[in-house]
Amino acid sequence: MSLLSVAGVTKRFGGITANRGISFDVAPGELVGIIGPNGAGKSTLFEIISGFYRPEEGDVRLDGVRLTGLSPDRVCRLGVARTFQKLRPFAGLTVLGNVMVGALTRTKDVRHAREQAREIVARVGLEDKADAHARTLSTGQRKRLELARALATRPRLLLLDEVTGGVDQRTIPALVQLVRELHASGLTLLVIEHNMRVITAVTQRIIALHLGEVIADGPPDVVARDRAVVEAYLGQAYTR
Amino acid sequence: MSAAPAAVFFALAALASFVVRDAFLLDSLILILLWGSAAAAWNVAGGYAGQISLGHSAFFGLGAYGAAVLGTRWDLSAWIGLAVGAVVATAAGLVLGFLSNRLRGPYFVLATIAFSQVLLIVASRLRAFTAGSEGIPVPFRPGFWTLGLADKRVWVWIVLVVAVLAYLLQRYLDVSRRGYQLAAVREDEDAALSLGVAARRLKVAAIAVSAALTAVTGALWAQYVGFVDPFYVFSVDLSVRFALASIIGGLGTALGPFLGAVLVTTVETYLRAQFGGIGAGLVGIYLVVYGTALIVMVRFAPQGLVGWLRRS
Repeated sequence: MSLLSVAGVTKRFGGITANRGISFDVAPGELVGIIGPNGAGKSTLFEIISGFYRPEEGDVRLDGVRLTGLSPDRVCRLGVARTFQKLRPFAGLTVLGNVMVGALTRTKDVRHAREQAREIVARVGLEDKADAHARTLSTGQRKRLELARALATRPRLLLLDEVTGGVDQRTIPALVQLVRELHASGLTLLVIEHNMRVITAVTQRIIALHLGEVIADGPPDVVARDRAVVEAYLGQAYTR
Repeated sequence: MSAAPAAVFFALAALASFVVRDAFLLDSLILILLWGSAAAAWNVAGGYAGQISLGHSAFFGLGAYGAAVLGTRWDLSAWIGLAVGAVVATAAGLVLGFLSNRLRGPYFVLATIAFSQVLLIVASRLRAFTAGSEGIPVPFRPGFWTLGLADKRVWVWIVLVVAVLAYLLQRYLDVSRRGYQLAAVREDEDAALSLGVAARRLKVAAIAVSAALTAVTGALWAQYVGFVDPFYVFSVDLSVRFALASIIGGLGTALGPFLGAVLVTTVETYLRAQFGGIGAGLVGIYLVVYGTALIVMVRFAPQGLVGWLRRS
């Protein structure tokens, strides 16, 4: 039984088809990477799963429950959390306050939410910054904050959009380690990632998108050598 | 922020009702508390929910007309007029809240201005019902039930109760679950949605509550002043005053609107007394002062008086 099931999802913007008949399943506890060149439709797919976009065709289900057509907040309450590619911290709130907003989706008790938020902030390594305003954080710290905030909603499925994008090289290993730990703790993850080294280090399965379609789905080494994938990234001249 | 400064502020106001005998000072105190409450009501939408409105006079006017029309036409209690005004304003707030889900930033601000101006036109044209542009004199009917109170000290207590309630409402938003969620909506609506916050519903509720409370202050004001003029109660000037007191005092802080109201009301009273005489050429100077004050505050104390006091 799969946790996430995407079936025949198509999304058009005017004349452009951003997602075309995308189908795949994610089993509980799996960590699946999503790759593809710019404009492949990766982010659109995330927006659809998280309820921000409504597809013209197809269905998204979480544990058999239909998500398509539900508002993003309902989707979150059903167990799907996400981060944003372009980071969106609550700049005027403290780090703890940011994470509490997530925790308050699952508990009505503010004190309880504060305790939970403190634990999660420590888990992502931001405990020294707990009372700092989010606007004072560096990009790497903001990525951790987004992750912490999403985790606080106690998701069954976590969508990560470019965890290592825009972060300086030295902080990447720590972020990768964090993702590994989340996976090890049993969380199901769907990860968009540009950095091939990062993605192959954390996952056993990659889905490659190109021009809105799934062109490959399998283990990293197979996908990386796939003719269609190489063509999509480098052009026909590089395929033998 | 601790509640101590607020406790001192409201205790001083209460104390003043026993000590002060001077009618002018009592009048100033009543207006400060009333404008402070109105600014606090505005702050719920503008500060806490981040929905900057320049049309809140719409709700103030609905409250004022509620009390005046029901009192003069059907001889109903001023309190019933106040309640009806608040209910009507809540409905109007829901409409504005709905608009806030369609329009963002400057478009929302423009819509709020238009909203109050539509009500102004309706009130000044519906002669049969509202007495049109002449306005409605609110008759003085002695008694608490009719809010015909000659003793200004009783008025201080009435507006003080409203002010404290407005303050407590804001404190609730400082510390409660809904408050945190509303802050998230203000900071980034999409991010709030992604974390499971029912952003739209929360925003609409905040605007509706803000509208109801503004209407209450409008009704009390009408009873206190004794005259409702559509061109005043529905004016953009008035909306700006609510926003200004709140911004100068400290946007999204519970005590800020009251501190802002102290400053704005005092300055305005002083300037009116100095320059406002018949034939004076500087009648509108308080607007110049407001504008300058706003620029100075935004430049040097963007967190308002509350933020400035907290730092020093």
